[in-house]
Amino acid sequence: MKIKPFIAAAVIIFALGIAGSIFALTSSSKNLVRISQGGKTLYTIDLSLAKDDKIEIKCSEGTNIIEIKDGKIRVSDADCPDKTCVKSGWLSSSAMPIVCLPHRLIIEFCSESDVDAVTR
Amino acid sequence: MKKAKRISELGVLTALALIMFIVELQIPNPFPIPGIKLGLANIITVYTIYRYKAWEAAAVAAVRITLGSVFAGNVSALIYSAAGSALCILGMIILKRFIGEKHLWLASVFGAVLHNTGQILAACFVLQTPQIFAYYPFLIVSGCLAGGFNGLCAQLVINRLNKIDLNNADQ
Repeated sequence: MKIKPFIAAAVIIFALGIAGSIFALTSSSKNLVRISQGGKTLYTIDLSLAKDDKIEIKCSEGTNIIEIKDGKIRVSDADCPDKTCVKSGWLSSSAMPIVCLPHRLIIEFCSESDVDAVTR
Repeated sequence: MKKAKRISELGVLTALALIMFIVELQIPNPFPIPGIKLGLANIITVYTIYRYKAWEAAAVAAVRITLGSVFAGNVSALIYSAAGSALCILGMIILKRFIGEKHLWLASVFGAVLHNTGQILAACFVLQTPQIFAYYPFLIVSGCLAGGFNGLCAQLVINRLNKIDLNNADQ
């Protein structure tokens, strides 16, 4: 069995991965932010209008504290085991949401057409 | 007798994989992306896939994942690693027919990418949000690197074990 096609496939997958990563990192930010848990939208926030605030989101698995400051948003504290969401820092790319897998929480930029109902 | 030997070998491999998993937990993860890690325990996964029957490799991985998530105190991560490993083992069993032991590292790269695919599909299912696929490119890059590394480790182990087998045959 020839090995070259498999090496070529691996190189292509790797290159696509790098290209996708660069795209995800360089996507610009937006104003509207959606906070959702397990597929349900909890909040939709316009960061350009929002005041500095802290939101506590509780679920059966635990709690995340979301901080809004100077028109930016991040998870400032969480009691999940890996704390990946806290380490993600401020939300900056519209292609890459902040995710807390254990608590099924997602914070992401969204566009106006995505918002069907105005929540708190 | 032969069966007992085989079962004890699988037990040793499972224990080894668990030790690697727990040692790796002590290494802080510098990447703020869920799912990115070296996955040293998969050295054993790759090794068992190439040296044992498919169901034996699956059994070793299943026990390691279940006990590992209990030991780590992170049972919620179980579904992601289980989905990833299932896809990885399935894919590698097929790839084994095309990619020989000489190029084990390459099969391991594909296995790692399949593992990441399984993880992200599970996350997509749990979170009910396709947005999670934004992390997929990062997982692929890290998967290629980690898979290549783990594959090379498994390859070194197999090369050395082959020598030992030859020595035994000489005696």
